[in-house]
Amino acid sequence: MLTAEGLTLGTRLRDLGLHLEAGLMVAVVGPNGAGKSTLLQVLAGLLQAQGRIHWNGRELSRIPFLERGRTLAWVGQESHAEFAFPVREVVGQGRHAWGDDGQGVEEAMAALDITDLADRPITQLSGGERRRVFLARALATGAPLQLWDEPAASLDVRHALEVLQLAKRLATAGTTLLVSLHDLRTALCFDRVLVLDRGALVGFGAPEEVLTPELIHAVFRVRACLAPSLTLELPS
Amino acid sequence: MRTLGATAGLALLLLGAILASLALGDANLRPMQVLQALAGRGDELARTVVWDLRLPRTLVGLAVGAGLAASGVAMQAFFRNALASPGLLGVSAGGALGAVTALALGGAAASVWTVPGASVLGAFLATGAVVLLARRGASPEHLLLSGVALNAIFGAGTSFLLALSAGQFQVSGQILFWLMGGIENRTWEHVWIGLPPILLGCALMLPLGRAMNLLSLGEPSAQSLGVDVRRLRWQLIGLSTILTALATAVGGVVGFVGLVVPHLLRLGFGPDHRRLLPLSMLAGAALVLLCDLPTRFLPGGMRLGVMTALLGGPFLLWMLRRNPC
Repeated sequence: MLTAEGLTLGTRLRDLGLHLEAGLMVAVVGPNGAGKSTLLQVLAGLLQAQGRIHWNGRELSRIPFLERGRTLAWVGQESHAEFAFPVREVVGQGRHAWGDDGQGVEEAMAALDITDLADRPITQLSGGERRRVFLARALATGAPLQLWDEPAASLDVRHALEVLQLAKRLATAGTTLLVSLHDLRTALCFDRVLVLDRGALVGFGAPEEVLTPELIHAVFRVRACLAPSLTLELPS
Repeated sequence: MRTLGATAGLALLLLGAILASLALGDANLRPMQVLQALAGRGDELARTVVWDLRLPRTLVGLAVGAGLAASGVAMQAFFRNALASPGLLGVSAGGALGAVTALALGGAAASVWTVPGASVLGAFLATGAVVLLARRGASPEHLLLSGVALNAIFGAGTSFLLALSAGQFQVSGQILFWLMGGIENRTWEHVWIGLPPILLGCALMLPLGRAMNLLSLGEPSAQSLGVDVRRLRWQLIGLSTILTALATAVGGVVGFVGLVVPHLLRLGFGPDHRRLLPLSMLAGAALVLLCDLPTRFLPGGMRLGVMTALLGGPFLLWMLRRNPC
């Protein structure tokens, strides 16, 4: 269970609190600069903010680094790589906190459809392929709390759907996921939606209850309407 | 297997370089004479040449090469940039200014410890400036730019002292020679100043290879995977500056080793720092010793720093052309 109280970081986060049961898949949405990435970094312990974060009753900042590496996994937006590590080694880094035991690395690569790339240097991959490598690394940690910052950005439509399906499988198995994204239609597939605006929490709950035309207009300044649209699904 | 072969090959190369460094010079010795002299046997001239002249020179060269190469690996991982080098933070320039100040004040005549001591002091003052900046949570880019500023400030001081000593032929000659780097006329004092702490620094750096792999793919992601990034940053900056300071103190300003050695080995054996660190230490030591050999036979201007740049530069260009990063 993840709880946070009074998270404040300048004007980037304002007195934010949340309470998430295990096994929930949460979409974090909001306009540019709303604080989505900041929230995920604060929850991952990468940015120091005022307030408290507890994971299963323990204060996150008191959990030692290695144990934290087994507890949570974070995937940032930046996917630049300077050095030509082979993909398999990068994914294997997910097991750092487990003493590099290599467990689940092949499965993580298969789940992100990068097994064919295993021996390729990461520097030679496209942006979308690299993003999948870093997601596989996060998956390989086996961490029960996964924080993904815009994982579908730069992914093609099939891989974006596969990532969504993977997130659902993880949540069903008890993993808590917070995933920032821009596509509100994708957010409808999540268990909960967390809406941020200028650092403040302005909506949290089931997607159909939170993503009302009124709230979308207030936060994003666009008019929302229900209309027939293109629906994409992975073949079963 | 490939790594094992490379390690064995580089260890053999280093052994050969050590042997050549002990055997070649004004008085050429045969390998057997060198081994006998090392064992304290054989003729007295050979023993004197090996024990009093060439062994200190060789050991200092070994320490300088290993230290600079290890420092280069750490800097490149820290800055996540293959173009980073030990001189980047201004530590070498600080060491150079310290040594040049001592030389300009006539310190070379006072004691063999004066110039290396002043160099260590200068390098540590520069390190202090770096540490102050790092403590305030400066990003790698910030530190890099600070290094540019420190290099400029220390470089200006060195140039000023060099110009001031222009009339004193002997002093300006000493300064120029020191700035070009070199390991000739090294004594056992230089060995004691440089070798044990550099070997200790290298040994302390070896276990950091695994965490350096994670760091080189991004600080936040490394931290989220369980690395204490703050502590690792301190370890890398601390060890790297100390190694550079000590290498500069006993060998003068020897450029290019810290840049070219890790870079070439990375092209050949991949970026895994657990391999890269020991291989770079071996290759750095061998490169300095091999570059020192021709300086014994060529005119005085062909100093160690000139040789490392003349050999390393074209080799790097050739490798980059063959195998673009």
